[in-house]
Amino acid sequence: MPPTFPRKRTINPHHAWAVARKIVQYTLLAIFLLLFLLARRDGILAGNIVNIPMRLDPLTMLAHLLSSRSFLAGSALALITLVLTVIFGRAWCGWICPLGTTLDLIPLKKLRGDRRPPAEAWRGAKYLLLTATLTAALLGNLALLAFDPLTLFYRALTSAIWPALDRIVSALETFLFQIPFLSEPVAAFDGLVRPALLPTAPAFYQEGLLFGMLFIGIILLNIFAERFWCRYLCPLGGLLGLIGKIAIFRRKVDEECTGCILCERSCPTGTIDPRKQYASDPAECTLCLDCLEACPRSRIEFAPTMPKAEWREYDPGRRQFLMTAGVTAAAVVLTKSNLLAKREPSHLIRPPGAREANADPIAMDKCIRCAECMRVCPTHAIQPAAFETGLEGLGAPLIIPRLGYCDYACNACGEVCPTQAIPPLSMEEKQQQVIGKAFIDEDRCIAWSDGLTCTVCEEMCPLPEKAIQLEEQEAWGPDGIRVMVNMPHVLRERCIGCGICEYKCPVNGEAAIRVYVPTTALPF
Amino acid sequence: MKKLSRRDFLKLLATGMGGIALEQFLVACGIKPTLVASDVIPSSTNPSPPAKPGETATSQDVQEDATPGITPELVVVRGGQPEEMVRKALDSLGGMQRFVPAGSTVVVKPNICVDYRTYEYAATTNPWVVGALVKLCLEAGAASVKVFDFPFGGTPEKAYANSGIKEQVEAAGGKMEIMSAFKFSSTKITSGINLTKTDAYQDALEADVLINVPIAKDHGTTRLSLGMKNLMGLIRDRGALHSRGIGQCIADLASLFRPTLTVIDAVRILTANGPTGGNLDHVRQLDTIIASPDIVAADAYATGLFGLTPQDIAYIPAAAGMGLGRMDLENIRIEEILLG
Repeated sequence: MPPTFPRKRTINPHHAWAVARKIVQYTLLAIFLLLFLLARRDGILAGNIVNIPMRLDPLTMLAHLLSSRSFLAGSALALITLVLTVIFGRAWCGWICPLGTTLDLIPLKKLRGDRRPPAEAWRGAKYLLLTATLTAALLGNLALLAFDPLTLFYRALTSAIWPALDRIVSALETFLFQIPFLSEPVAAFDGLVRPALLPTAPAFYQEGLLFGMLFIGIILLNIFAERFWCRYLCPLGGLLGLIGKIAIFRRKVDEECTGCILCERSCPTGTIDPRKQYASDPAECTLCLDCLEACPRSRIEFAPTMPKAEWREYDPGRRQFLMTAGVTAAAVVLTKSNLLAKREPSHLIRPPGAREANADPIAMDKCIRCAECMRVCPTHAIQPAAFETGLEGLGAPLIIPRLGYCDYACNACGEVCPTQAIPPLSMEEKQQQVIGKAFIDEDRCIAWSDGLTCTVCEEMCPLPEKAIQLEEQEAWGPDGIRVMVNMPHVLRERCIGCGICEYKCPVNGEAAIRVYVPTTALPF
Repeated sequence: MKKLSRRDFLKLLATGMGGIALEQFLVACGIKPTLVASDVIPSSTNPSPPAKPGETATSQDVQEDATPGITPELVVVRGGQPEEMVRKALDSLGGMQRFVPAGSTVVVKPNICVDYRTYEYAATTNPWVVGALVKLCLEAGAASVKVFDFPFGGTPEKAYANSGIKEQVEAAGGKMEIMSAFKFSSTKITSGINLTKTDAYQDALEADVLINVPIAKDHGTTRLSLGMKNLMGLIRDRGALHSRGIGQCIADLASLFRPTLTVIDAVRILTANGPTGGNLDHVRQLDTIIASPDIVAADAYATGLFGLTPQDIAYIPAAAGMGLGRMDLENIRIEEILLG
């Protein structure tokens, strides 16, 4: 008797698994977003709770271990993810990762249509990116962690998505506030969302566009293949995939499979291969369990398996691995011969204590690029470095005083940093921590150059004994007459470089008082 | 990829243009209609609390309630607890109900300039002085009392908390509000001389009663920060004032906001390293409150606490010259009260 499909489809018991996965995914995404929102100075959660997502990430923790050669107790949280992976393979990717869930939420199925995915060989790219990341980390360079899915997700939220959302809300508020009967509700709404969810003053991030477009670009890659990022590029996926090769629970198809290809179609990472009797690569399978539901005959199970999974042709060979490691090492060495290695950029202002905490202030060898400090900085002074500190400094925190100053009453960045790349300083220590030194540009200064009264920088200086002092001096007034004007002077030994003088300087464009790297002696 | 048909192209184009138009519309909506402040200025011989725009003069006509010749124009109270001194000062001026009619909306504007000083450093207004004013307003029957400032150093939420003002205001039944960007609107200052237009905070302009409660302190640019200087917290672009004669600009602002009552907190004054302070050696405890409906007179009197004269502080003669109040202290009815 030929097998017949049941006419009346009863509820597929495997459907429950897919539902459970979605519930877990959305709940965890909500928690990741909540932790992002709660990452505020003086928030209800301490910094070391807010940054838990980063410490769950084995790639950032491993890279930090290799680069800083120091182990932080907090990094042990990453072992949870590793154990999970040893048991369930890449379940992190299918169930937990916020970027993965975002890609599931925006699958772009219609735009993808019947497009065929790229060649299988591309799957090897993520292993090469992983190799490069870890090799560079071993040589003290963590810049490639900017492509870790968690740091990428949080950096995009901080520097692009959230500021853009704030602009939209502000525009709507401004518009609706003018409608008389709406003014009261709008004001009440504003009181609710600021400062709880959105900043009280608009935030600006340099290269926010770049980091935002990178995030959007990764979503758009879904047009070429479902979860393109996870299949081909994600370095964390690569790390978990390698462990997945020896994972205990793996997908198995039994001999009664009729080859109906429904599971192949349902697989978001396209790893179910009809040419291999519908088997899948555990390094690619995210344990989403969609195939369980898709199989009309329940021929699929996820069961304990012992032997190591086979090495596929797209997995990197020794030669590729060595090539990648070699090229990466060469690139890291090349950065050491770059100009930056001899002379620091003059505006290399790092968050308080970061210059001292890292062996290499340019590459920031302890910084995992997670952008938590940028999120938590109440004055938006901490910015993601684009290229001003070279490729080796990509994504590391930089204080750009013209965009924001270091608030005298704040030490939030050190508290939230998961790797102590910004050390946790007490308020008193932080208030004495020198991060730069201010210099007056007398040709731009309103007092020095125009002979007009302006002492904003002196007024703003937060130090108990102000680092900017005024002295009445004779100068050319605006009408070509000699006048007596209060001239600002910086007492360099007092200045801590907080940058509020540069931020508030009323001169348009480049400020007339600017913070430069602390003037310490150079080695040669 | 499918060839793009003309229809599809036009649809895309229309969607894009529509998006841009919507964005422009939203931007345009951000430009508020210009408010015009009343140009009624109290005469120098009768410094009554000025009427707010669009309001009848009778509701706040001070002379109706006050007994001429007995009610002082300026009160100085010394030697008591902050709240006690504020109550005494207001009693002496004829009671808070003289300034705050029942059912009116009140804004109290303290100085909360930074988020990193507690009140002992005398960089921010004494929290109990602010709290006492909120209580008195509510006792007088105010419908609502809002308190806010726009700190230049740090975030408002932290400044409100660290200054201690939030706690006292909320205990007194007032509301601490964080200033909203969309409530600043381009406003003409009709009697302004150096400053004729600025983005001013609507809530302060539209409130029935504005009570100005600065702390008296040293200031690098203007020598002293007093009542009129405190009004700079109600405008968006404060940097712009520095390059065009800040003394006159501050007087211009006083002509725009014209607070109903000014209460200068001199419980502690900051004598150097202002306006931010940070060194207790520069703080002097004077246990003094100066209150007057005449902001110029209050500021003029406060200069004496620092051994200065009204002429030394550029914005005081500038404001007196505009007829915003009087600085001739010898001709003003001043009541000085010493509490045991």
